Amino acid sequence: MPAEDMGNLTRRIRYVFAVSSVIFLVVLAISPFKDYRREWKQYKRSYIRFAQSRPDTKRLTADYSPEIDQIWLPAMNVTDRCTTCHQGITQPTLADASVPQPFRTHPPIPHNVRDWGCTTCHRGQGPATEVAEAHESTLAWEQPILPTRFIQASCGTCHLSNLPQTPQLTRGRQLLAELNCQGCHKLPGIETPAMRGPDLSSIGTKVSREWIYKWLKEPRTVTDKDGNVTVNGYETEEEPRMPKFRLNEAELMALSGYLSVQKAKPLSAYRISPGVIASWSKNPELVPQGELRFRQMFCSTCHSLAVTRAGETKLIGGDIGPELTKVGSKVNPDWLIAWLRDPESYLPHTRMPRYGWSDEDLYKVTQYIATKLVDSDLLTNVPNLDSPTDEQIQLGRRLFLEKGCASCHAIVGLNPQKDFGPDLSALGAKNASELEFGSAKIPHNLVSYIQAKLQDPASVNPAARMPHYSWNPADLDAVTTALLSMKGAPATSALQNLVIPRKEVAFHPTGSFAEVYKRYKCDTCHKFNGYGGDLAPELTYEGSRAQRQWLIEFLKSPQTLRPTLILRMPQLNMSDKDAATLADYVSMVLQNPAVNPASTDAKQFTPAMAALGKQLYEVKYQCQSCHTIGASGGYVGPNLNNAGGWLTPAWIQAWLKNPQALVPDTIEPRRNFTDQEIDALTAYLMTLRAGIAPQKTGNTPSEAAVAQGAGQ
Amino acid sequence: MTPRKWSAALVCLALALLSGCRRQVPTAKADPLLAAYDSEPDWNDSQKTIPLGYQQAQGKRVFYQQCVWCHADATPAGPSNRSNLTPPPPMLNDGATLNRETDEYMQNIVTLGGSAMGKSAMMPPYGRVLTAEEIRSVIAFLRAIAQPPYQPSGRSGSQDSAK
Repeated sequence: MPAEDMGNLTRRIRYVFAVSSVIFLVVLAISPFKDYRREWKQYKRSYIRFAQSRPDTKRLTADYSPEIDQIWLPAMNVTDRCTTCHQGITQPTLADASVPQPFRTHPPIPHNVRDWGCTTCHRGQGPATEVAEAHESTLAWEQPILPTRFIQASCGTCHLSNLPQTPQLTRGRQLLAELNCQGCHKLPGIETPAMRGPDLSSIGTKVSREWIYKWLKEPRTVTDKDGNVTVNGYETEEEPRMPKFRLNEAELMALSGYLSVQKAKPLSAYRISPGVIASWSKNPELVPQGELRFRQMFCSTCHSLAVTRAGETKLIGGDIGPELTKVGSKVNPDWLIAWLRDPESYLPHTRMPRYGWSDEDLYKVTQYIATKLVDSDLLTNVPNLDSPTDEQIQLGRRLFLEKGCASCHAIVGLNPQKDFGPDLSALGAKNASELEFGSAKIPHNLVSYIQAKLQDPASVNPAARMPHYSWNPADLDAVTTALLSMKGAPATSALQNLVIPRKEVAFHPTGSFAEVYKRYKCDTCHKFNGYGGDLAPELTYEGSRAQRQWLIEFLKSPQTLRPTLILRMPQLNMSDKDAATLADYVSMVLQNPAVNPASTDAKQFTPAMAALGKQLYEVKYQCQSCHTIGASGGYVGPNLNNAGGWLTPAWIQAWLKNPQALVPDTIEPRRNFTDQEIDALTAYLMTLRAGIAPQKTGNTPSEAAVAQGAGQ
Repeated sequence: MTPRKWSAALVCLALALLSGCRRQVPTAKADPLLAAYDSEPDWNDSQKTIPLGYQQAQGKRVFYQQCVWCHADATPAGPSNRSNLTPPPPMLNDGATLNRETDEYMQNIVTLGGSAMGKSAMMPPYGRVLTAEEIRSVIAFLRAIAQPPYQPSGRSGSQDSAK
């Protein structure tokens, strides 16, 4: 190679080196700049600037370090760097809504951020150092932040018992139980109600094949012209707990055929003498009287009727039993009489009490139901169906199992498939990649998936067997929250120790009390030792509260102590013997150990004490703001007209000392009475007596509406 | 290859490396699910909804348990007890009355009751039933739903709460 060329090459190489060195220098110079510009460092610096604009700069910056902040709780799998940017999270002075995020204080909750970390409740990526990575899901990290409107799900992951602070979660769990979701799915902690769907072993004696066809095709029967009905203040598309299955004509024919021949227990019709009926039926007021009886017995406490006003249809009444607006067009009249006389003989686990009926009342009420609670158009679009063919019955039986009907409804001799639907016990911990989105155009995250599946199961999986439920937006969110709370077994033993299990509650009545209790289904509405319904007052300590004689009179003729209530204790037409059995057991057994009847003798109360008590009641404490005596007072608390005939003095004293010790969730505030004041108030209340002979209760507008709804 | 081409190639490489350093992060989409979960309809205008924060939502819960019976015109159980009381208690959203009271005054009257603050004894004390935090949350809730709206900066202490 000539020297000249060599020189040229050297020059070129030098040139290349020079240029590349400059480039590397530039790159090197950029990297500290890029490091300086990192997202979290910018938040760090802007926090300092923000703190300097506040009066308490010194305190706000006391813990400040320019490094990444981290909450590290190895036992709980928490490595959370969220406080790197959310620096004011524990600063009490930054709670105001005007403080810009991410610096605002965390709202006050029972858990300290330093002890629990952030992702324990909020999910997201704790170790991430960029906003988007921490909050959103990426391909590598799949758990996005839990939207705050579902945050109660995180409470439910450990708190398996219901908390007062999480109404949304509690509602969601309640819906999962009410809708029998655990009939098909494994849902730990969701109570299995005694009755999933009704037992259909003898459904053929109750309803016609046409009605079954209509019910399977379109379970909703009460709607206004827009196809809506308002339940509990929410507009919804349908009321019944029975969801809508996607069934074709052949399937409808087969299922209705199969069900219509289910007559395991033949109907034994109860016949009232035709001569007696003939004389009753001359009564022009028969149906109105039946309606009145229906109202007086407070059927509406458990059953609702639809009322249409100004084009809006509302269900008014309780939701323990089915709504009855069109029940007269549904059930066989002989079945209705047999049912009302003894519900348990048709449905062993029913929650309906066995009322004591006179033949006349029974006749009047059934006549009212058969003439007023009807809809002649109910079966208009149903084809005429004859007796089913054998093929239809066979196909119907197969469909009953395949469609999952058997998961909620029992039929004698039919064994449901175990674990019919997927196990949902760890649904809340699933990553997006574990879910099937099908062709649904929804964001690929767990929350969207759950909501899409609940609203229309076929939208994410066209072959889904899950039927269609109709949700109002609040309930949809509540159920989503409850499902998100189910994250399966805790990952570490430290987390396992944090789980607060549900309290298992049970009440085991004994002896003749048990029989009467079972007949009247007291636990449908009342709680005993935490077990039972929550519609009516808890009776765990009723024996300490009420006098035995009052209990007997009340059971025979219940009247409300709270005149504003729409849902009231039904008139059960109880016999003297049954009432005495209940009252004896309640007085002897359902006692609170803290209320000592022997400690108080009503004779110790002097008129002077009672006079002082009256003074305290009316002037110093103004109890009349919530309680009624005579014709005046408030109706937040119970009416005290007959306090002396109703309550035991020992109960009044214990109650005035600390109401919450006796009934934890009572709203009566605990006052700071002196012992002398308590004695005086007790003495005064014991002087209040009023006969509790049946008194006409004023009809509130809602009651009138229940009655009117029947005919519409 | 000319030096110019070399250097051009190097510059390109460097730029490629540099651009590689900045990982593409998907921009955060406005997810409707990230909206507040709890809210209260405006009592004076049912078309409007007031979003609630955590503390306000807790206050709403306590309010509907303990206070709604006398401080609203409709209650979960039907009619309100308000009409039975003289003087009628203020509606919880009555900004014209409550906006001028400080948080401290409100905390005191709920904790100690009306008579302790020189007001009607019909308002009972809740200090032995509700925690201070629960009472604070009720105040946060009533501030949120106040009509006319509550302005924290514009408040002036009332006569009763001056000291």
